[in-house]
Amino acid sequence: MPDPQASLDPLDRPPWWRDRRVVPWLVQGVVALLLLVLIAFLLGNLVHNLTTRDMLLSWRWLGQTAGFDISETLVPFNAEMPYWRGLVAGLANTLRAVITGLVGATLLGTLAGMASYSRNGLLRGLTRTYVETIRNIPLLLQLIFWYFVVFLSLPNGSAALQIPGVVLAKSGLYLAGLGQGMHWSLPQLVNGVWQAPLRLSVEFAALMSGLIIYSGAFIAEVVRGGIASVPKGQWEAATSLGMGWFATLRHVVLPQALRVIVPGLNTQYISLAKNSSLAVAVGFTDLYSVAETTLNQTGRALEVYLLLLGAYLAMDLVISLLMNGLNRFVQIRER
Amino acid sequence: MNPLLRRLRADLFATPADGALSLGLIALITAAAVGLVQWATQRAQWAVIQANSTLFAVGRYPADQQWRLWLLTALLTAATGVTWGLLRCHPRADRDGTLWPRNDLVVLALLAAVAFWLPWVLQLTPALQSRWWLLAALLAATRWLAGRFGSQLSRPVLRLFPLVWPLIYLTGMVLISGGLGLMPVSPSQWGGLLLTLLTSSFAILLCFPLGVLLALGRRSDLPLLRWISVIYIEFIRGAPLITLLFLGQNILGFLLPGGLAPDRIWRAAWVLTFFAAAYLAEAVRSGLASVPNGQIEAARSLGLSYPQTLVRVVLPQALRVALPAMVGQFISLLQDTTLLSLIGLLELLGVARTVMANPAFLGHSAEVYLTLALVFWSCCAALGLGSRALEKRLDPQTLSRSSSQP
Amino acid sequence: MTSSPNNLVIEARGVQKWYPNGYHALRGVDLSVHRGEVVVVMGPSGSGKSTFIRTFNALEGSIRIDDISLGNDLRQIDAIRREVGMVFQQFNLFPHLTVLDNLVLAPTLVRGRSRTEVQAQALSLLDRVGIKEQAQKFPGQLSGGQQQRVAIARALCMEPRILLFDEPTSSLDPEMVREVLDVMRQLAQEDITMVVVTHEVKFAEQVAHRVVLMAEGNVVEEAPPAQFFKNPKHERTRRFLDQIL
Repeated sequence: MPDPQASLDPLDRPPWWRDRRVVPWLVQGVVALLLLVLIAFLLGNLVHNLTTRDMLLSWRWLGQTAGFDISETLVPFNAEMPYWRGLVAGLANTLRAVITGLVGATLLGTLAGMASYSRNGLLRGLTRTYVETIRNIPLLLQLIFWYFVVFLSLPNGSAALQIPGVVLAKSGLYLAGLGQGMHWSLPQLVNGVWQAPLRLSVEFAALMSGLIIYSGAFIAEVVRGGIASVPKGQWEAATSLGMGWFATLRHVVLPQALRVIVPGLNTQYISLAKNSSLAVAVGFTDLYSVAETTLNQTGRALEVYLLLLGAYLAMDLVISLLMNGLNRFVQIRER
Repeated sequence: MNPLLRRLRADLFATPADGALSLGLIALITAAAVGLVQWATQRAQWAVIQANSTLFAVGRYPADQQWRLWLLTALLTAATGVTWGLLRCHPRADRDGTLWPRNDLVVLALLAAVAFWLPWVLQLTPALQSRWWLLAALLAATRWLAGRFGSQLSRPVLRLFPLVWPLIYLTGMVLISGGLGLMPVSPSQWGGLLLTLLTSSFAILLCFPLGVLLALGRRSDLPLLRWISVIYIEFIRGAPLITLLFLGQNILGFLLPGGLAPDRIWRAAWVLTFFAAAYLAEAVRSGLASVPNGQIEAARSLGLSYPQTLVRVVLPQALRVALPAMVGQFISLLQDTTLLSLIGLLELLGVARTVMANPAFLGHSAEVYLTLALVFWSCCAALGLGSRALEKRLDPQTLSRSSSQP
Repeated sequence: MTSSPNNLVIEARGVQKWYPNGYHALRGVDLSVHRGEVVVVMGPSGSGKSTFIRTFNALEGSIRIDDISLGNDLRQIDAIRREVGMVFQQFNLFPHLTVLDNLVLAPTLVRGRSRTEVQAQALSLLDRVGIKEQAQKFPGQLSGGQQQRVAIARALCMEPRILLFDEPTSSLDPEMVREVLDVMRQLAQEDITMVVVTHEVKFAEQVAHRVVLMAEGNVVEEAPPAQFFKNPKHERTRRFLDQIL
């Protein structure tokens, strides 16, 4: 611009490719064009390839008889029922795993996170080891370990591991509970087979052990970060009032830490929900596993994929909505 | 009282309740440790690892072509040694310039111990054993040479040296897959640790530029770029990796014209890349958000163009802040490669599962899976350590703290 | 100092500026600055004085002058930025570069000059602002006053035609204000053209050729410092001076 006079000349209109009002639109136009070409190319191929195989989008197969069985379901299902019932049963199993996992991992993670602020050096070291070990080993490997190494090597019958109220056997996990006639009843050995009001399959137990211990380590870190975000003065103030370690943590520090913890939990919950799809590796029939079987039988890759994706996106969305609500609640109480 | 005892007392036996807890924990830990050692030395049979060590390392890579992998390992070792040595002989102003600081000696001793101990444990043939020793010697030698004579290298040579790494990577690709006069080895014959490292390094290298672009797009002023990035990132992050791998295996073939779809292994590697890019973008975004607006204004007022501002001013600061989160993503990417076993590829876990399907090794899954866990743990922990060291080296704040003192 | 038109460095007429939220920040500001002149802009906070000097640098959206949008030519914007140096309230040094590299970055990248040549110039500039011995340190190791002096040297290293100061002493500790003002005084004696937004009355009295009062997005009064501080024409100026003196 050597001469500033030039920029004051009202007749000075820049060429369009240098005009700062035009260039952003130009860039976006080019990007949009490229994107449209790419999408058209992919969709064109998809339609062409599917048409030649006569596999264009259709949902009629959902009503056909499934022909496979699911070993444990919350909603009734058998091999004579149509595919869509199978997918619903799979979804119910996924939800069951996710909800149990969420509760368990939250409990374990919160305890471990609190323990990392314990006065006891040994406990602190132990939680640190737990977190550092678990986070550096792939979840899938851990799940396979729990299933094949731990649960499948459990003895059966009277040799099974027994803790009062709980029996761990190769045939499943038996828990005490309210049995027939609303009586409290313990697991019993009847003719060499365990009977109890509550039975979990080893597949489910392995999935839960893996998911809860893995997510628990991440949640412990979130909780630890939350506690770290509370100023030290809060600890000192509470201690000077004569409050003990647990009381300080429970009534003073944790409520303030929630502001930081809740957003972190949201991320961890969503990844737990997604990780539950690894159930397929330990033989627990969740949504993904049903979808895979369905695909292998019907060959309807695109439709099955859309259903799967929709289900997981919806699950993430629900978790996010709930956690955002909780977050708002926590933040308002703070003020 | 002895200070150690006093510390132990404050740490473990401050109150009766604490004392009881400590005693309980000590008993528990001792029992677990004793049990583990007993199992590992008496009941466990490590023959399953010994018998399948080649399978775990490289899968079904043809035996007569494995020299190519040894060559690649040697190249990588030499490059590591030289880089290590150069880093030491060009320390930052704040570090002491000792050629062999204690850390290095410890690391070297550890590596030497592994190089001697591992072949013995795996009962490798003397030929293989000597190769391991040669590799360890090569590392120590290159490290020493580079540390000793690195300071005599001219500036342009030092500047160009980092290019050695991509060059080795490309050479490695050729060595592994063949071509250029070498016998081609099809990807279906790659496996084990080789496949794990190949897919994860491929995905890490490629997801980095992609993730940075996506993060920049997400923070762009142009609404279209922002929306494309947001939709991509949220879509990928909403779906479990296994469904995306599923997409890659079953649907990618429909999206491309017949015959254009790559091999199954490459498809999986690309899916991993696109998956990791979305997560990496979020890490980079948090780094970008930490750069104050004043930095951009200052750069622009000095006349730097937008790309220059980005490359010289914004990204160096943003990536440094994002480094821990990015390495965290790389670590989980390395772990995510195990999912390839679910779509029938024989990476480490896939090999383990096929080995376990062999009736001869029935009942020894604990040995195999614990070994794998140890391998993954070491790799991930090493990445984490490396990231912390890099963070310290790059941080101008630690520099200012250590040298601003009189 | 002569005021012939070809000595004009900045001539702004009727500058208008709206923020995206509809706030009308500048409402037809006129200002001329001649070569070698030091203009001090004062005014209450929110009067648009920072916004105004940022328009010279195209850091704040587009300028409207006499009802015509100008400064939309990207090449011209880049050219303006090369020729206009700016010193910020928050220093805005690049924390990942050494002091010397902070100075060397722009001249080598933007003007394509050789590194050794720029380094020599940078060192002499650092000497001029009194911190030559800190050249190899990082900005985080310097005090606020030292950082601001580096920022001034950085702007000078591009050899700008005009230097803009946006409240250069406002975020400094009181004992560091003087060292920065001393440097600016020295620059004024070297006939460097400067527009300074500041609240430092003494600096304005001693150094400025003209003092401008801005309020509500307008120039209210424009006068030599003696007249501005002793005998202002406008009621608004009097009220402002009552508040700060």
